[in-house]
Amino acid sequence: MTDLSPLLTSRKLEVGYLGQAILPPVDLEIRPGEFWAVIGRNGSGKTTWLKTMLGLLPPVRGSVEHRRAQMNLSYLPQRKAIDELYPLLARDVVRMGLDRKWSFLRPWFGGEPPEVKAALDEMGVLDLANEPFRRLSEGQKQRVLFARLSVSSAQLAVLDEPTSAMDRVAEHEAFTLLDALRKRHGLAIVIVSHYLGMVQRFADRALLLDRDTQTVLTGSPAEVFGDHRFHARFSERPPRLETPEDGDG
Amino acid sequence: MADGAPASSSEALSQDELEEAFGGDLGAGPGAEPSATAAAAPGPAPPVLGAERSAREGTPSFGEFVHGWELGIYRDPVLCGVFAGLVLGVLGVFVVLRRAVFVTAAVSQAAGLGVALAFLVELSWHIPVPPVAGAVLLALAATGVLSLRMQRTRLPSETLVGLIYLGASAGAILVGDRIAQESHDIASILFGTAVLVRPLDLSLVIGVGLVTLALLAVCHRGFLFAGFDPEGARVHRLPVRALDLLLWTLVAVEVSVTTRAIGALPVFAFAVVPAMAALALVERVRWALAVAAVFGALSGGLGYLFAFFFEFPVGASQATLALLFLLVCLPIARLLRGAAA
Repeated sequence: MTDLSPLLTSRKLEVGYLGQAILPPVDLEIRPGEFWAVIGRNGSGKTTWLKTMLGLLPPVRGSVEHRRAQMNLSYLPQRKAIDELYPLLARDVVRMGLDRKWSFLRPWFGGEPPEVKAALDEMGVLDLANEPFRRLSEGQKQRVLFARLSVSSAQLAVLDEPTSAMDRVAEHEAFTLLDALRKRHGLAIVIVSHYLGMVQRFADRALLLDRDTQTVLTGSPAEVFGDHRFHARFSERPPRLETPEDGDG
Repeated sequence: MADGAPASSSEALSQDELEEAFGGDLGAGPGAEPSATAAAAPGPAPPVLGAERSAREGTPSFGEFVHGWELGIYRDPVLCGVFAGLVLGVLGVFVVLRRAVFVTAAVSQAAGLGVALAFLVELSWHIPVPPVAGAVLLALAATGVLSLRMQRTRLPSETLVGLIYLGASAGAILVGDRIAQESHDIASILFGTAVLVRPLDLSLVIGVGLVTLALLAVCHRGFLFAGFDPEGARVHRLPVRALDLLLWTLVAVEVSVTTRAIGALPVFAFAVVPAMAALALVERVRWALAVAAVFGALSGGLGYLFAFFFEFPVGASQATLALLFLLVCLPIARLLRGAAA
């Protein structure tokens, strides 16, 4: 029987820097298979909240509890945090997903683990396995990085604006791939995105963060988009459901 | 004589052997400054084949080199240059990928200051301090300070690299001024005009180099993940800080040992230029490591030969050869990229 107890629980979590909270306390639970979208305007504290949840930044107050101490997490940071100077093939990048803790010390006798090829195939980029990562298009790079998530045996994947450099069609494909990953591997996904149409279509939970108005909202996308505080900051109307055909060209 | 003199490998040979090898008239080695060498401290005079010898006997011949090689006079520095170039070339790939090129320059200058301070302590207070220990100590201290990354200041971390480079360079020259007896040795270390290498230094370069290569081989997947995507690596619970510490400790120790043996200038060149050439040329880390190792080794070995036969300073010759490899590689890399596109 599937264990649906929370993978990650934030209790009165306040995030910020140098002991100064930038957002009100956040209480939420992330359960297996959930698709969370974190939304908010630029500088609203989304990345700070994500990094605190992942343990990359210390909380100002409150706590983050994992279901198990050994729970596997994976993180896809904003693209600027990934150094493309490294001369790595697509398959090298995917292989990184297999390493956790000190496992990099163990040599791989007998060649590349088969999971790498399977993950590249799953993301439709097997033919790019031997291509230099830095020469791929943005969409291809994201597929390779999603393949890295796929091999990582993570129960929770956190992605910070993974579609920021994509056009609408590529973005829709990326959300579709992530959704497929979630369903196939029972993966919980937390994604930061500015594309509210995609959030409404794919996410089943949404978290709105707004540093300027000190607003934190959680709920289903419909609940969050229907809140007057959301309208006050984003638009007069709720977001229109977008399809790839709506792409701006 | 203190064990800092680059020419003191001649201590392994008798004066008679050296005079027999060089026609009974010992001068400076390739690229050494004759006057400074002559003023160097006690002990057998080093073999000199530089401008002074050239003026008297013409340019060095291949036969002379072979004879010197058979006696071990030139074998050790060539081997030292080859091995230092190879290891620093490999290590340099990780340094360049971390965008920390000038860290190597600052650390090598700090190692030079460490050697100078070791001489000063021995001459002033008669406390024997192995120069290589001074080099390692100061290089590790510089690495430690750089790791702080000026977290509590508003200045970029590069300014700290510049400060350490400047402070170490000025300090070494000031200390050198107070220990005139050893000033040539310090100049050799700072500018890479060391002609000969002591057997102990060669052993250290090879021993530390092998350990460095072994640790790089064992940890390379960790270094790559921690450099390519440090936050992703931390979420995967890789020991990113320990890996950073290990990498910069390897840089500090390897740079200090090789700086003591061949000088700061070629060490900086080997740690940067072969890696730049390799990273421009190939699209895979393992090939970049191999190409950088080959370019580094060739720069170290052929640079010494170039200095010998054309009577140039050794360190500058080795650095120039490394730059030539880079200059040849850049258009080739452009052609390869064009062909791939």
